[in-house]
Amino acid sequence: MASKTKITIDHSICSGGKKVDPRACCKCMQICEPAVFLLHQTLDAEEENPYDPQLWSITPLWLSLCTRCMKCVDVCPERAVRVSW
Amino acid sequence: MCEACLRHGTAGKWYLNAENYSNEIVEKYNLRDFLMEQYLNFEQMSVRKVGGMNAVGLGYKLQMPLIGKVVKHFAENVVHSQRPPKNPLQAEGHIGQVIPLDDGIAILETCAAEPIILKNCMCRYMSRGIKEACCINFGVMSEIVDKLPRFIPDDDKYFLTREQAIEKLAEFNKKGYIGSIWYAPYPYINNLCSCANPECAGLRPRVDFDMKSVYKSEYIIETQHDNCKGCKKCVAMCQFKAISYNITIKKAVIDRAKCFGCGVCIHACKNEALYLRPRDEVPRYKER
Repeated sequence: MASKTKITIDHSICSGGKKVDPRACCKCMQICEPAVFLLHQTLDAEEENPYDPQLWSITPLWLSLCTRCMKCVDVCPERAVRVSW
Repeated sequence: MCEACLRHGTAGKWYLNAENYSNEIVEKYNLRDFLMEQYLNFEQMSVRKVGGMNAVGLGYKLQMPLIGKVVKHFAENVVHSQRPPKNPLQAEGHIGQVIPLDDGIAILETCAAEPIILKNCMCRYMSRGIKEACCINFGVMSEIVDKLPRFIPDDDKYFLTREQAIEKLAEFNKKGYIGSIWYAPYPYINNLCSCANPECAGLRPRVDFDMKSVYKSEYIIETQHDNCKGCKKCVAMCQFKAISYNITIKKAVIDRAKCFGCGVCIHACKNEALYLRPRDEVPRYKER
């Protein structure tokens, strides 16, 4: 594979405090065979309350292991995941 | 014998030395505050920038000429750090080793400091969003988890006696989970995990990126060729894809380079065709 895989998650839809709480869904994380995604507390939350347990989001972490099967795109109920290369 | 054993094992394996579990280390390095801060932020560790770089797309970063080598060296230095830990936002001195069930039982019987608890696995939670209570913690780590509700299991038993902990560990091991212990941070051992690949944040860098975030066990798997009936049950049990079925000889064969020596495949074998032998006896693969 020559080009790098890019996965973007629309955080205006899928992020704690926004439309969907990622912790309640996690569908993309569970369908991904190489487990590319990471569920974590957001770093942006730091100014107000660094440990706000409500603010969680999903980041595609191990991008080089993505097999481009596109299952995460299909499974997302909010269509928030995009995969490109 | 590995370097860690020479330094920390009184007369044997480093993880069977009760000193590495003692509260004295906790007081010496003030680990209560350090570990509290670290576990509050545990899931963030990979996305937080350290030296201007985080772990997002780590595989691509490692492929870059020169820069890749620097990144790998830097990351390994952090996890192998033997200095008193300073920055709780990095995995300083957080290195582990795979252990077979028998050694896990020995740790729980003789070394592990009370109280012993069973907590939700954070790796499974951050990589799959699934809460599964299968990490056994001891010593000061138990006090810390007590203040972090997301790690406390809802229905499973939380505080364990030594006997219950051994029972649980055996149950997970037979399920196929890999037993592993962790310096967190060096030289304090407080975690006895039952890991899965690729979910485990410690196994992943080693398996996929060849970074020494975790040592292989002191053992390596061996086949008793004549006993193997070719049932293939062990093939499914191995999380490292180290066992395959050879259709010509109709028996299981081992890729020793991939074997971590966790011993979970032995539970699947009904014919005593698999056993663990000391890794030092196999010179080609003696590197942990």
